[in-house]
Amino acid sequence: MEFANHMILLAAVLFLASILATVITPRLGVPLLLVFLIIGLLAGEDGPGNIHFSDYPLANLAGTAALAVILFDGGMRTRMEDFRVGLKPAISLASLGVLVTAAVVGAFAAWLLDLGWAEGLLIGAIVGSTDAAAVFSLLHNNAVHLNKRVTSVLEIESGSNDPMAILMTLVLIAYLQDPEAFGALDTLWMLVLQGGLGAAMGIGGGRLLVKAINRLELSDSLYPLLALFGGLLIFGFTAVLHGSGFLAVYLAGITMANRRLRAAASIRRFHDGIAWMAQIGMFVILGLLASPSKLWPVAGPALLIALVLILVARPLSVWLALLPFRFPAREQVFISWVGLRGSVPIVLATYPWLANLENAALFFNIAFFIVLVSLLIQGWTVAPAARLLGLQMPASSALVHRIEFDLPGQRGYEIVSYRIGHDSSLIGLRHKELPLQDVSRVIAISRAGRLQAYRDWGALRAGDYVSLVAAERDLPQLDEVFRSARRPAREAEQRYFGEFHLDPAAKMADIADAYGVPPPSGANDLDVRGVFAKYLPNAVVGDRLRLGDIDLVVRRMDRDQITDVGLRLPHE
Amino acid sequence: MKLADILSVDRVSSGHTFTSKKKALEELSKLLSKGAPDVGSGDILNSLSAREKLGSTGLGHGVAIPHGRMPGVNESVGAFMRLKHPLDYEAHDGNGVDLVFGLLVPQNATEAHLKHLAAIAEMFSDENFCRAAREAADDQALHALLANFKPA
Repeated sequence: MEFANHMILLAAVLFLASILATVITPRLGVPLLLVFLIIGLLAGEDGPGNIHFSDYPLANLAGTAALAVILFDGGMRTRMEDFRVGLKPAISLASLGVLVTAAVVGAFAAWLLDLGWAEGLLIGAIVGSTDAAAVFSLLHNNAVHLNKRVTSVLEIESGSNDPMAILMTLVLIAYLQDPEAFGALDTLWMLVLQGGLGAAMGIGGGRLLVKAINRLELSDSLYPLLALFGGLLIFGFTAVLHGSGFLAVYLAGITMANRRLRAAASIRRFHDGIAWMAQIGMFVILGLLASPSKLWPVAGPALLIALVLILVARPLSVWLALLPFRFPAREQVFISWVGLRGSVPIVLATYPWLANLENAALFFNIAFFIVLVSLLIQGWTVAPAARLLGLQMPASSALVHRIEFDLPGQRGYEIVSYRIGHDSSLIGLRHKELPLQDVSRVIAISRAGRLQAYRDWGALRAGDYVSLVAAERDLPQLDEVFRSARRPAREAEQRYFGEFHLDPAAKMADIADAYGVPPPSGANDLDVRGVFAKYLPNAVVGDRLRLGDIDLVVRRMDRDQITDVGLRLPHE
Repeated sequence: MKLADILSVDRVSSGHTFTSKKKALEELSKLLSKGAPDVGSGDILNSLSAREKLGSTGLGHGVAIPHGRMPGVNESVGAFMRLKHPLDYEAHDGNGVDLVFGLLVPQNATEAHLKHLAAIAEMFSDENFCRAAREAADDQALHALLANFKPA
């Protein structure tokens, strides 16, 4: 009994400390995950907490389960339309990229630490994948706004490269345990089984789960739980059959995000919370597991390996993997820089312990140190790097509050609320004057903390909360209405997307004529859309084409069709 | 750039009411031709209309900046109209337009001329400036406001 009480108290203290840390850290620009890790370290044997924790199997279990949940949640946030631009490059990064990273880091580690090639490669494989939790949380941070190509590539990559790293780690461990009995065919078979089974079970399982959620009549609060344990079932079942459970839950999440799903909003909100809990729990436990006093002896070599990883292996692998996709150079540099390592390497570093490998302690401490360095150096500088490379876009929907509800009996409709800011130009308008789509309508206005009766609505004032019923597909447009009204946002937008609008069907020759700029060669008969298709296939919002002194900027897209183009003039 | 070099007081006018975008552009062309004596207002109208066909020059929030290149013009020429009632200008935000700044640049427009256009667009993206322009008492006051504008 005493033990249970102590454990509950301890867990509560660690979680509360982590949750409170989320209040302060965004202002410091520190990656949150690093803070969770440090809280774990402080609570551990070398910190004031002085908790002795070295249960590798338990840490492995917690880490694996948490990763499964985070990947499931990450998958549910991935929209199919992101796949259009991001999928192929991301898959290349997740396969070839991981291989190259692991090979370069492995060769260097083997040389530096005087290990066998397989042991060196094992270190490379352990730190081979980028971290979904770290990448997701950094890219959804309010300080960074990037174009869709970069975000979707980074997100899909980080969600889908863990299986490759895990696979390489497992193969290398199997080889190291018994080098005589392990052949090339075994490796190939493992690869096929892990990847093939993971993909099939993930997509199939995801569809089944959607069907189950939409068919079964349950109490409202059980749908999110059904989704969560359905996802874990997919993970467990796939993994028991020797497929990649990580790939399976990620794909299941994606499958669910792109189908009509009952209670979608509450499922999303629930998983958001669960994913937070998984992240905090995992990083705190992994922090507890490590002991800084054992990290110091390997600090020198580990730092060198981390630098090789960040400055050589990752850029090389990104360059090679993206070679066929002709990414702009500055986007490649940025993608290289956001090669954040996170929990996966630390979780993977517990595998050699479980397999009783000779150098397990060395692998763990080096991997842990590399993650610390990566989170510190790269995690801290993502926003400045985006600014430096000129990849920052004007904030999109971050400035408005949006609260989603499900309407019973309806799918695809939500209730959203927006706050009218002090600089909003909607102030003074009546609700009927708001430019809204036909089905969207204002249902409530609250002012000074009180819901107003319909006859008192009157003109909008600063600080009002406006609630609307809206179709899910109208939400981006609604965001635009409430955001474009903000003056600072408007100026930033004009600077980025240009002063004027052009019809995507306007002829290139006419534009060149109107502004006295040279038309691109061979593009005289094309319209704006055609020129983008020719010079920038797979364009995303924010992409630019230079035309003499002016820029053409993609302002808006509807799926893969450009619907609005900005014209950006030169500035003083 | 000083706007006073581009815009003279006789090319600022207010209180118009138009029934169509075309009529507004016609009137604007006449104003502009005061600053470009060698050019007929019909040619100016053609240039402005050709540009509008590529996409409305409405910036949103009630402002439009029709512009075009013009042979026979050596320096940028501006004209400004304040309308009494907002006019449907096919602006992308759907709002009617009541502040219209017209700009002609030389046929061999250089980067400097495009920067004039950018500076004018920036001026009209300032909400306080637009409010002041809507409240200015008469043409003189409007001209003074425009000519003395200093970006914040």
